[in-house]
Amino acid sequence: MEIGFSSEERQFREQCRDWLHANVPAERRPMDAIDAIDFDKAWQRTLFDAGWAGINWPVDYGGRGLSIVQQVIWLEEYARAHAPWIGANFVGVNHGGPTLIANATDEQKAYHLPRILKGEAIWCQGFSEPGAGSDLAGIRTTGRVEGDELVVNGSKIWTSFAHVADWQELVIRTEPGSSRHKGLSWVICDMHSPGITIRPIRKISGQTEFAQVFYDDVRIPLANVVGGLGNGWRVSMSTLGFERGTGFIADQVKNAIEVEELIGRARANGMIRDDRIADDLAQMRAEVAALRAMTYRNISEVIRTGQPGPESSVIRLFTSELGQRIERMAVTLMGEAMIDFAYGDDDAVADYLRGFAATIAGGTAQIQRDIIGERLLGLPKSR
Amino acid sequence: MDLTPSAEQEAFLTATSDWCRDAMPIEAARARPANLWQQLEAMGLTGISAPEAQGGMGLEFGTEALVFAELGRHLAPIALISTAVVRHSTDHAAKAGLTLAGAGAVRLLDARDAGIALGVRDGRVATFDVPAGLTWGVAIDQTVPLARVAPSPDGSDISAPRAALHLQLLAAAFALGAADLARDMAADYAKVREQFDRPIGWFQAIKHICADMAVRCAVARSQLYYAACALDAGTGDAAFHVAAAKRLADRAALDNGRANIQVHGGIGMTDEAYAHLPLKRAHLLGFIAPVSSSDLLTPELEPA
Ligand SMILES: Cc1cc2nc3c(=O)[nH]c(=O)nc-3n(C[C@H](O)[C@H](O)[C@H](O)COP(=O)(O)OP(=O)(O)OC[C@H]3O[C@@H](n4cnc5c(N)ncnc54)[C@H](O)[C@@H]3O)c2cc1C
Repeated sequence: MEIGFSSEERQFREQCRDWLHANVPAERRPMDAIDAIDFDKAWQRTLFDAGWAGINWPVDYGGRGLSIVQQVIWLEEYARAHAPWIGANFVGVNHGGPTLIANATDEQKAYHLPRILKGEAIWCQGFSEPGAGSDLAGIRTTGRVEGDELVVNGSKIWTSFAHVADWQELVIRTEPGSSRHKGLSWVICDMHSPGITIRPIRKISGQTEFAQVFYDDVRIPLANVVGGLGNGWRVSMSTLGFERGTGFIADQVKNAIEVEELIGRARANGMIRDDRIADDLAQMRAEVAALRAMTYRNISEVIRTGQPGPESSVIRLFTSELGQRIERMAVTLMGEAMIDFAYGDDDAVADYLRGFAATIAGGTAQIQRDIIGERLLGLPKSR
Repeated sequence: MDLTPSAEQEAFLTATSDWCRDAMPIEAARARPANLWQQLEAMGLTGISAPEAQGGMGLEFGTEALVFAELGRHLAPIALISTAVVRHSTDHAAKAGLTLAGAGAVRLLDARDAGIALGVRDGRVATFDVPAGLTWGVAIDQTVPLARVAPSPDGSDISAPRAALHLQLLAAAFALGAADLARDMAADYAKVREQFDRPIGWFQAIKHICADMAVRCAVARSQLYYAACALDAGTGDAAFHVAAAKRLADRAALDNGRANIQVHGGIGMTDEAYAHLPLKRAHLLGFIAPVSSSDLLTPELEPA
């Protein structure tokens, strides 16, 4: 056990820091997906051109093939430099791409991966349905095989960035009459296909970042199936593994910075003299430190054994709830200024309201607790 | 950077764990064998980080913290903490108890057969002579013999600058052990106790309590590892990280201790069963090298 970095890693950190210092855009990322899409694409392209996209992705597909520790260092420096949120590139970069790397054919990888890294292709995730959120195996959207195509009918919901996306990781039922985990397929859907209708949905914070998507006889080539027809459950689990596993690295530094800012603010406005507030802030500082330690422990596990330990769900759950406590503290320190919030403002209140997603999206806190209870503690399966 | 135990540390841990299971079963926590302390000494567990020249093993704080979490999980004698600190930083080679200065009296913990006891005086770690002829009772933690002495016995400060942090680190490791014990007791019980024709762990109301216990342990354990490494490396923020580890371990021990009793239902309330033991240990450890809000808020942190 040791917490030091090698001189090569420290040098890499310096390079990240220098580049970010010189290149992080001064303008703020627009909050709404529609307004932000050009910004997101341009920033991703800038990252790619300078060699900072896909740090640990394979070189063959536009990545740099560096170590996972270097990826972590980059994400730490990225957050520290207040670099913009990855926004519309989130799905492609954080879980669509990694799922393709793990499961796709060479043709699929060669076409899609570089486009994701360059910010040319925006991806979205079509897993949830109006009747199947936590219960992903309950999906009903169908794909009927007709010749060398799938004909898709049904609806997906809460699809982040659907209205600005080019491609979608779409899970559908391709075996008629199948139920639950069987007969599903994970397919690459062209979001510009005829038969797709998108209805944006407004969030409690004001943005329209997600949407409901309707499929009316949408035709998808069979060649777009990833991991084989009928293997959709297995491929989806790998997607969720990436989705639940990667986001926390940047969050960890972002949380640390926010807590320091909150302590400064509480000192400035005198609220630190309230024992409960001081105690909560002290606790948050300890928890933020522990989150970094947990992340490092998880990364160490990946390096040692090739896969993250069963504690990924622990990190995911802890990060989401800690983040929410921090956002809540930020609005507490605002006092009644909180009530001045109106839709669309980019401030602590919007962050607080958006933050409710952390314990819902990608598997709710309750589902994570089930996973921890069953996989980590060996308790009997409830579902 | 590598925050997983090395192969040697794993081996040490496994050996300790096997030994603890035989020598310190929870069922016998209230009546340990008379020669237990001699066995602990013979195993070298009182001197893991003590210099080799003094008969110790000369290992890092990281290894010691790992092993102490395991010892703590078996509710090992509390004087292991004080003895390890004394042996690391002084040339006193025998058992050292713990003192806690409170209003009106000083409490001596697990200081039977010990010539000295370790405590904190005016923010400095010091050793105190244990007077002869004390009357020993039992503390809230029934594994711990307790006696009272008049205020301010004579003592001498330990000059080693890291002694206070060492004490806090090992107390954190013991607290983590108590939290782990409570989690395991609850999860084990949830697998065998049946109601409504099913193991109670099938019900999410219970499963989620257990999951939260696991989260608290994982958080506290990660921070303990980091803090121990920071202390070994002598980084400028080591004091903060050790305090954070103690704070999180104390909270985990207390919250898990309470949750464990709830998961056990009626039997959890009985003196005869064991669910109360980790809770009581947690309360005691909360008084040993405690952390205040300002310990965590005041230090300026180096940017990571
Ligand atoms: C901001 C945001 C972005 C999202 N983006 C996407 C996206 O891009 N693509 C996509 O496919 N999906 C997306 N989602 C959907 C997300 O995955 C689902 O909202 C989530 O899985 C919960 O499903 P649900 O909304 O149907 O809630 P429900 O499943 O109806 O849950 C309602 C409540 O019941 C609880 N519950 C449900 N089942 C159980 C159970 N078995 N045990 C205990 N409690 C249970 C839940 O925890 C929750 O508290 C997004 C969601 C949000 C909030």
